Amino acid sequence: MTVSTAPPPPAAPPAPPETRRQRRRRERLVARDSEIPVELYGLPRGTITLLTVLAFLFALFTLIPIAWILINSTKTQANIFETFGFWFASPFQFFHTFGLLFQNVDGYGTFIQWFGNTALYAVLGGGGATVLAAFAGYGLARFRFRGSRMTFYAIIGALLVPITALTVPLYLSYAKAHLINSIWGMVLPSMISPIGVYLMRTYADISVPRELIDAARIDGAGELRIFLRVALPLMVPGVLTVLLINVVAVWNNYFLPLLIFNVNTKYPLTVGLGLWSNRAVNSGNANLYPMLVVGGLVTIVPLIALFLILQRYWRGGMLLGSIAN
Amino acid sequence: MRSSWVHRRDRRGVWFVAPFLLGFLLFMVVPLGYAIYTSLYTSRIIGGTVFTGASNYTQTLGSGLFWSGVIRVVIFAAIQIPVMLAIAFFFACVFDLGVAKFGTAFRTIFFIPFAVPAVVGAVMWSFLLEPQFGPFTRLASVLGFPNTNFFSPNLLLASIIVIVIWEWTGYNMMILYTALKSVPRDVVEAAILDDTPLWKIIVRIKLPLVRPAVVMLVFLNTIGALQLFTEPQILEYFEQGAVSVNYTPSYYIYQTAIAADETNLAAAMAVILAVIIVVISALSLIVRRRRGEFA
Repeated sequence: MTVSTAPPPPAAPPAPPETRRQRRRRERLVARDSEIPVELYGLPRGTITLLTVLAFLFALFTLIPIAWILINSTKTQANIFETFGFWFASPFQFFHTFGLLFQNVDGYGTFIQWFGNTALYAVLGGGGATVLAAFAGYGLARFRFRGSRMTFYAIIGALLVPITALTVPLYLSYAKAHLINSIWGMVLPSMISPIGVYLMRTYADISVPRELIDAARIDGAGELRIFLRVALPLMVPGVLTVLLINVVAVWNNYFLPLLIFNVNTKYPLTVGLGLWSNRAVNSGNANLYPMLVVGGLVTIVPLIALFLILQRYWRGGMLLGSIAN
Repeated sequence: MRSSWVHRRDRRGVWFVAPFLLGFLLFMVVPLGYAIYTSLYTSRIIGGTVFTGASNYTQTLGSGLFWSGVIRVVIFAAIQIPVMLAIAFFFACVFDLGVAKFGTAFRTIFFIPFAVPAVVGAVMWSFLLEPQFGPFTRLASVLGFPNTNFFSPNLLLASIIVIVIWEWTGYNMMILYTALKSVPRDVVEAAILDDTPLWKIIVRIKLPLVRPAVVMLVFLNTIGALQLFTEPQILEYFEQGAVSVNYTPSYYIYQTAIAADETNLAAAMAVILAVIIVVISALSLIVRRRRGEFA
């Protein structure tokens, strides 16, 4: 990313661009160098094997439900209950059930619509939250204005207030303001993420040097331009982490949509699947349990994929840096 | 002394914070204020909505149903959080020291449940623990515990603890792992040269250095645990009658607001729950700050 206001670097012979493989190798070498060789610990023989086995057992515990949902997404309702849970059984029904996700099977809603709703809420709410948090975090980290301290304390205070205790009041206000069943009732509160602002402030504080901002000011750049062209590029890893946290928070949000939506065309996936788990018990429809299983699988796949893709940008350490302040 | 030029510059920061602040006021402060206001009234079939002052509060505070839910989530937190953090810290150390094979792969696997919505996690576990056909129920019966019902009053809380541990251990482990990675290498090297055994390095050197991270996780997990809602609600959908209306305070508030339509009472309960959680977390902050633990 280019920083237009920074002075051009002194002319140096351009280094040949690093290939992807070279970069990976360098990163791995650096990582290895920072680790202490295991031999130095003087561990009794077999310790590594024992610890690997323990890690394997916990990985098994972690993967059991995932394996179960993968395997059972191929089964009929009778087979889900009657056959061994961790092996396949014929007939193979995955595509049949998957097709049903595009229909309104028992009149209680269509999965694919819930999927679209969730994506919409996550993009608008999670994206909006990240934009607001980046602006506010930078503002709090690099400006001292009247009330900036108060604002920061209010944000910390908001972290303590339980979501349940905020959501019920929100629901009561919506009932008064006729915002029940409005998508804005879902999207707008999702855009307010105190933890996002908190993390962005911390990240802006470490990653954007004051001198750079001052230099840009002397060059005559406006504050907004400085933020967008100088500060924001430096904040990218932090912004991506906050984006991930916010999107996941909206994608997984259950309590707010459960309260504020009472028509199934507005439901996100979480509320829709919760409803199905209730319907599956009560209705005689033999497709609902398989749809619940396949629907659950389709719900988690995009998020797991997003995580694996964004893993290298994940700055879990941000959550820590923040306490030192 | 800051010059007035700098001062004017600095005031422009307001515009960066203003959009967030506006939303913060509209969607957090105003609703909370409205909830406090509405909690002071009561709707009656005859006579409409009347001001009743603190009566919704005295009713909640005197309600055994409400408090039994509070006690249940406190017990839940007291078991679930230490067990989860012990597992998370153990594996964070193992991966930080590099004393298990395939560390990177294990770390990725452990983190997966964080990407699974609590609703889907609860649905998957409901299938696994289902009292008639669930694979775990069958396994229990093979192991000599026939007719195990994981949703019975005796085992329900334990089942929920397992589900929540499944959901959150990886996330906690990642945070502790990151914290351990930032422990300076030379401190550990010096200890090794002194022939300090490994467990002592972990307990005496590493644990104190990552204490702020542990404290923060205790704090965040406690706030989360006291609002337990999704898992019991889905279990109740799945196995009707397994979860009582007052099982957790959040669930009781939901039932009061939606099923019983007593919104004024629910508002008072929400305010009381918020106060309980803020008091518990603020107390833990103050105590730790006094002991110089929370930076």
